Amino acid sequence: MDSKNLGEGLGGTYLDNNATSRIAPEVVEAMMPYFTTYYGNASSQHGYGLPVDRAIAKAREQVADFIGAAYPDEIIFTSCASESDNTALWTSLWTQKNKNEIVTTKVEHPAIMDTCAFLSTHGVKVHYLDVNRQGDIESDKFEALLNERTALASIMWANNETGNVYQVPQLAEIAAKHHVVFHTDAVQAVGKIPVCVKDYPINMLSFSGHKIHAPKGIGVLYVRRGTRFIPFIHGGHQERGRRAGTENVPYIVGLGVACELAKAHMDELNTRVRALRDKLEQGILATIPECMVMGDEGHRTPNTLNIAFKYVEGEAILLMLNEYGIAASSGSACSSESLEPSHVMQAMEIPFSAAHGTIRFSLSRYTTQADIDKTLQVLPGIIARLRELSPYWNQNKPTIAQADHVFDPDSQEVRA
Amino acid sequence: MWDYSDKVKDHFLHPRNARVMADANAVGDVGSIICGDALRLMLKINPVTNVIEDASFQTYGCGSAIASSSALTEMIKGKTVEEAQKITNQDIADYLDGLPPEKMHCSVMGREALDAAVANYHGKSYEQAHDDGEIVCHCFGVGINKIKKAVWENHLTTVEEVTNYTKAGGGCQSCHMRIEEIIDEVWMDLEKCGVARPGFVPTPLEGIKIATSTAPAPASAQSAPAAFDSKSEASPYFAQVKAVLQTFNDGLPADGSEVVFVGIDGTTVQVKLEGPAGEGMMAEMTLTFLDKKLKEAAAELAVKRV
Repeated sequence: MDSKNLGEGLGGTYLDNNATSRIAPEVVEAMMPYFTTYYGNASSQHGYGLPVDRAIAKAREQVADFIGAAYPDEIIFTSCASESDNTALWTSLWTQKNKNEIVTTKVEHPAIMDTCAFLSTHGVKVHYLDVNRQGDIESDKFEALLNERTALASIMWANNETGNVYQVPQLAEIAAKHHVVFHTDAVQAVGKIPVCVKDYPINMLSFSGHKIHAPKGIGVLYVRRGTRFIPFIHGGHQERGRRAGTENVPYIVGLGVACELAKAHMDELNTRVRALRDKLEQGILATIPECMVMGDEGHRTPNTLNIAFKYVEGEAILLMLNEYGIAASSGSACSSESLEPSHVMQAMEIPFSAAHGTIRFSLSRYTTQADIDKTLQVLPGIIARLRELSPYWNQNKPTIAQADHVFDPDSQEVRA
Repeated sequence: MWDYSDKVKDHFLHPRNARVMADANAVGDVGSIICGDALRLMLKINPVTNVIEDASFQTYGCGSAIASSSALTEMIKGKTVEEAQKITNQDIADYLDGLPPEKMHCSVMGREALDAAVANYHGKSYEQAHDDGEIVCHCFGVGINKIKKAVWENHLTTVEEVTNYTKAGGGCQSCHMRIEEIIDEVWMDLEKCGVARPGFVPTPLEGIKIATSTAPAPASAQSAPAAFDSKSEASPYFAQVKAVLQTFNDGLPADGSEVVFVGIDGTTVQVKLEGPAGEGMMAEMTLTFLDKKLKEAAAELAVKRV
């Protein structure tokens, strides 16, 4: 693949920050000494270990401060949020052998969805909470699924595709009322909306570094003091015996700095970045017919816009955007390997004519006015061009006498 | 992102013959919005010479679907219908300097549209020759019947062989598990017909009586009738418990898991756990479930592992 396909590097318009984000230069700078000078093992009883041990302790404090944990020792460093999610699910089962049910939603990240699917083949009963057309869940329905056999309720704080923010504080209170352990996958929430775990009865929280301008390969599992815990990875005393493996020191240091920066930039996300997202949304709706915003517009993370363009297919839109150096993502089947539209769009019962044409734009604090202007400039032309090609878009096109079939975008036919 | 060839990108960004042909005399529609791609191929066929004088398309789908459609129109223009029908989906892919394996179905869709257009030209509605049943391999559009037939006739035992014979599973590989299941299903039938499965111990066929002229199926250790002590057989719960266990065992995965009924002592049902259902964390879950089921039958019953 030649470099011109790579979104022209930093010169390009990167609007896919819910997938991963640019590593902040300050983060890289903070990490570098831990690749070169301070390569010691934090466990070592000599001079190489001490500065490393201190650096990890500092990062732990930075992370605890970022998510509002009462104590730094509630922070466990992991390899990624998927590991954190897996740990939370398994540990809740291992520590409560009299319970074998999990309550979650139909719109979770695969780290939860696929793990639950696996657990359900091993005797665990998983209840999936429905969402409505806006992708929202109802707390009454949530409460109704909890019972004395519920080992864990795991509800994402914000959805990666729609940006929908769920009422995690309220849901955690409900779970606590029923003495159910509560975990939240907060990957898409931290850094975008206020998250303060000590204010609510949240037992566990997962997030990853690479969505908040730290590198990939570092995640966090917050475990509230008093929550029963059995490690997912055994083999060492690290993380106070809760996660074996020599600490990934440079990444832990980088994550600490990224958390500090994310906290400092939270207001900017909710003012400047939110305004850019709203401008993009309004600009698209004003210039492109037959498109609609996915998710709950009143309760979204400030950086996310998911919009469906009817009669065209998402991967084709992404390819054309890429030609202009604009990077976004799609919930369409063709842009993944699954041959199915995203499970989130399916759970929301979005019609196929729209689900295949969903594009997610996700901004960050590095997004500029120029990025949004450029996107608004090229997008109407791209959609018009693809609709010109589409048999489902018949405006201003001649009819064909010979055709014995009608391409109806709302039909339920399956002709593979 | 998909690693498309320059030619795919060229045909996607600059599609040839992308327009509606109002006076087409052959129109082939394939695909649907649910499948995520659809193609209308429009041809102008000379009724005297049978030459495809013009071809155009309308496509809803990903980059490679649009590129495959564009390529197809270029390939068939000027050819007679007979010549055009010799084109395979592989030819379309080759014309584009290859497609990612997962995208081969885009070329298959192009090929099917040509068949559909020719059928339409002859005044027939296109019934795709899909008596293939459930589509197992979506990359190559291969149905279950085709795979079963290949396994049955050729005694195929591996996914790789199935791929060689049918192409199924040669794309994204996500259907490999399903193909494994199909191979296993077919071999269950083959074994019933007396064909020995290479490298396999005969599958115990519990509960299935097959009349064969050959020797009876070897009795499996697990299915051998267990002897119960007189106390158990005299228990008023005996028949009930046996029925619950039968249903319970039917619900367990076919991985060797089994709950073996040992006996009844008062209201205590004694069982042995076999296979993965009796290991580690699962053992407790199995027993908890079973206990629940027994209590549903008679509230005073309790299970005990012996």
